[in-house]
Amino acid sequence: MSSLSLFLTVFLTGIVLVVAGLGIAILLAPKSFNLQKGEPYECGIITHGTSWMQFKAGYYLYAILYLMFDVETIFLFPWATIVRDLGYQGLYSILFFIVILGLGLAYAWKKNVLKWD
Amino acid sequence: METTVAQIQVIPLQYYIIFCSALFSIGVIGVLAKRNALVIFMSVELMLNSANLLLAAFSAYRNDPAGQIFVFFIMVVAAAEVAIGLALLVVVYRSTKTIDINALNRLKW
Amino acid sequence: MYAIITISIVAIIVLFLGAIQKKTPLLPIIFVGLPVAFIINLLGWNQSIHYYNEMYIADNFSIAFNAVLIFTTLLVFIFAPVYYKPVKRPLEDIYALILFALIGALTMTGFGNILMLFVGIETMSLSLYILAGSKKFDPNSNEAAMKYFLTGSFASGFLLFGIALIYGACGSMNLETIKEFVVAHHNNIPAMLNIGLLLVAIGMTFKIGAAPFHFWAPDVYEGSPTLITTFMATVGKVAAIAAFFRLMSSSFSDMESSWVVTLTIFAIATILIGNLSAFYQDNVKRMFAYSGIAHAGYMLIAIIALKQQAAGVLLLYSISYTIATITAFAVLILVREETGTFSINAFKGLAKHNPTEAFAMTIAMLSLAGIPPLVGFAAKYNLFIAAIEQGHLPLVIVAIVGSMISVYYYIRPVVAMYFNLPSATSAIDSSSNYKKQIFLAAFLMIVLGLIPGVIINLI
Repeated sequence: MSSLSLFLTVFLTGIVLVVAGLGIAILLAPKSFNLQKGEPYECGIITHGTSWMQFKAGYYLYAILYLMFDVETIFLFPWATIVRDLGYQGLYSILFFIVILGLGLAYAWKKNVLKWD
Repeated sequence: METTVAQIQVIPLQYYIIFCSALFSIGVIGVLAKRNALVIFMSVELMLNSANLLLAAFSAYRNDPAGQIFVFFIMVVAAAEVAIGLALLVVVYRSTKTIDINALNRLKW
Repeated sequence: MYAIITISIVAIIVLFLGAIQKKTPLLPIIFVGLPVAFIINLLGWNQSIHYYNEMYIADNFSIAFNAVLIFTTLLVFIFAPVYYKPVKRPLEDIYALILFALIGALTMTGFGNILMLFVGIETMSLSLYILAGSKKFDPNSNEAAMKYFLTGSFASGFLLFGIALIYGACGSMNLETIKEFVVAHHNNIPAMLNIGLLLVAIGMTFKIGAAPFHFWAPDVYEGSPTLITTFMATVGKVAAIAAFFRLMSSSFSDMESSWVVTLTIFAIATILIGNLSAFYQDNVKRMFAYSGIAHAGYMLIAIIALKQQAAGVLLLYSISYTIATITAFAVLILVREETGTFSINAFKGLAKHNPTEAFAMTIAMLSLAGIPPLVGFAAKYNLFIAAIEQGHLPLVIVAIVGSMISVYYYIRPVVAMYFNLPSATSAIDSSSNYKKQIFLAAFLMIVLGLIPGVIINLI
């Protein structure tokens, strides 16, 4: 592991495998370019109208907000495992963290992101 | 915790490095080869997660929690990045009606 | 550290005042908050305090750079009312994001642990991605933001994988511990550390916009709103280069042999590509993007020629680049307001109606080109001397050739301003604040050019 040759072998093998896979795909696969491929739903039939019309902004903003707050709670886990050892200092720190998170939520609320219509 | 570390250490460290390097390479090539912005996002996530896995493996092998804490930070940053990326994607889609990045060709010398 | 906290509080207050539709107090709060943060920052001078288990180190290096960054942000905010005059809504989100980006930049200059480097870079970059796209209905701005985001997150991936490998090799992310490891294993540096360092260097060169990873910079700088471009080109670049310098000088200075050659190639490529591409630009904003790339190359020289003096030289170079760029952009914003174009033709005959602006622009251009007695010359001179002392003669020769090329494209707007007939019929109005600021910047460029030693010996 410590030797350069082994590491390079490993690294190059990774690259070569992937390049080979993709390269074969590029060589063998039929190619065509059209803008439809960039559409969100590429399922053969041309969509009627624009998919933009059916987009509900509410879902999207909710999803992003949910994602943010969901992931931020990851910082509670290490705190929770040693909550007794940390004592009050840990509690204050985590409360401060939650207040900052709450400020973010309050801003989103104030900007009417949480309004469903 | 000890059993988890022991279980992680059943697999030799080299295997983690090989696996993470492969994941990382797939991510890099995905970013370079794909033209769909969403697929590029996924490839970037793959790159970040390969680093996560590597950090977690090193952390377990060295009995040092710093690496795992770093993983937490990477996850949070990745989530923020995805949120911003999706928001930008929506904005770009609104103006170009596609998420193919070849459509982003207004700025060129 | 307390400067960062102050700015965070200011940013949050601004954000919430904007959310409750208060428009007038936003800028005054910033104009009070940033100077306060500036002073708080300077209070830690010569103390080298370590915060949170060496996560953040407020040594003279970080304090000096933080002072530059805060001051630059203050100048950017002075232009904000002029630039955003037509916008009626409170711009709390944009102001707060600029402040958040500044927080990231301040974190980057003083990190004591690679974790903080990553957090700082991401705080700054994530704010800048949004700011680049802050003109929501302008396709150019959207495109710039998307390109910046894609390349930026790609670079973050490289940076992270590199950090993971360095952690695997050294068993720690603390800069001091890494240095101890490097010193102890001086003769057999593990391959993992070399590869990790290379990946980190790639990630950092992406962020500073140096070749061969510069391709995002021109498009992003051109498409973003001009005020944001000013911020990106100054604060973003200086913070990234300071962080790179700190990383290299505090951890990896003892394994120079494994990265000096790579960085030298990067620097030579950056200087040549930046200057030669700027040569052909008619769009002044895009020209500044390439000029920024070229200057990133010059600043890389400071990293290559690492020694005690290099930090001071880098600081002087950052100051000279920042002040000149911000002055030039200030004039550019004014010209663009009046003529609606970034083309070089817009500058024709500016000197006739707006002598102050034309004079400041001339000083800025000459300083960027490195003509004595301006600060740009002093900075370049000291940089090249430091590099020659370290034996990087070929690099310096390339840099001097690049400098000569740059004179041509920096002189073009000056010629257009003074020797061409005016295209606009009337003078461009600018507020007196604006004039004062531009004047102050020009003054600083001349004075600092006369006494560069003060800055160099500071840190």
